[in-house]
Amino acid sequence: MHSFLTSKWTKGALFALCLVPLGLLVWQGLHNDLGANPIERITHATGDWTLRFLIIALAVTPFRKILHLPDLIRFRRMLGLFAFFYGCLHFTTYIWLDKFFDVAEMLKDVQKRKFITVGFTAFVLMIPLALTSTAGWIRRLGGRRWQMIHRAIYISAIAGVIHYYWLVKSDVRKPLFYGALVFLLLAWRVGAWLQRRRAPAPVRAASPTM
Amino acid sequence: MDDILKLAPLEERIYRHRCVEAWSIVVPWIGYSFSTIAKLVEPTPKAKYVAFQSYYDPKQMPQGRWAGIDFPYVEGLRLDEAMNPLALLCVGMYGETLANQDGAPLRMVLPWKYGFKSIKSLVKIRFVGSQPPTTWNLAAPNEYGFYSNVNPNVDHPRWSQAKERRLGEFFKRPTLMFNGYGDQVASLYSGMDLKKNF
Repeated sequence: MHSFLTSKWTKGALFALCLVPLGLLVWQGLHNDLGANPIERITHATGDWTLRFLIIALAVTPFRKILHLPDLIRFRRMLGLFAFFYGCLHFTTYIWLDKFFDVAEMLKDVQKRKFITVGFTAFVLMIPLALTSTAGWIRRLGGRRWQMIHRAIYISAIAGVIHYYWLVKSDVRKPLFYGALVFLLLAWRVGAWLQRRRAPAPVRAASPTM
Repeated sequence: MDDILKLAPLEERIYRHRCVEAWSIVVPWIGYSFSTIAKLVEPTPKAKYVAFQSYYDPKQMPQGRWAGIDFPYVEGLRLDEAMNPLALLCVGMYGETLANQDGAPLRMVLPWKYGFKSIKSLVKIRFVGSQPPTTWNLAAPNEYGFYSNVNPNVDHPRWSQAKERRLGEFFKRPTLMFNGYGDQVASLYSGMDLKKNF
């Protein structure tokens, strides 16, 4: 398992796999197979995949710990960046195909329509995380501070679910399903944190007074 | 159904159809004015509204309970709206009888209102004295009013109604007041505040 997870081929294959949803959209687009309202289909598909990749990226740490597979960490940055990538595509379809680059219109939307406000927040919060995802930035910020900043991904995921929930007109099963996943992944972290706190502090050095 | 088909000669009417979710399409419908059937019924002076109800069979439509709205679907019109000659009692489209998903065997088409007002698969039409409940209004009263006339100046709380995307077109086009049927229907609403009565 170790050699499989650390192979560069595995990472390459996962990269290609992450591009499949986009490839499918392009393929369907070229073959006129996106239904009666293709732009709506593209908007929904890219939004769906943003949320899915956010959830997959958030699942990496719990899976590492539960399955005792620390090597999974190798894929976390890539998965997070794919969430950002699909988020960019989602935002682009909105600003281009819905607003035709009318920034004033867009700002009005962000201000006026709360589902867009939270969606926009989720997206904007991902930008600094994508920018500081490199090894250089981890070094510059220091691991602790870097980790602190990158916890913003929790907010992005929650905001993404709310964005979806407020958007659907009546059948809320899918947003609730994603919401449950995000809840589980965050609850696991709370549980892990409580456990760390309760565990006895590691023994440092023997006291000289003893 | 045969009796309904024999009541009046069928006409093909090409109407603009505007969905509340800001897309639109042009459809050749087949039917005749709802007023034809309404006049046969001879509603009493007490009738002020028309209440419509769709077919609902939970066995045949198992997804219905997940829809988030109550079924059977109900809609309503003020009597004078229903009597407007544009209000079409529809049995077909594109030269054929209606498909199930398009509202077979009988539906309404109200081209100056958002699509959801044009109730499908009718099983009951009642002439009533007071304003009947309507499905989407019950589900979200702040988003869907009783009238739901196409109006580019009154936004849906979650999106603008100023423009629409005609299916198959890339750019959006401006939405017209009453979906462009103002000459025929605007007089129905003279003196009404259409921002309040959305």
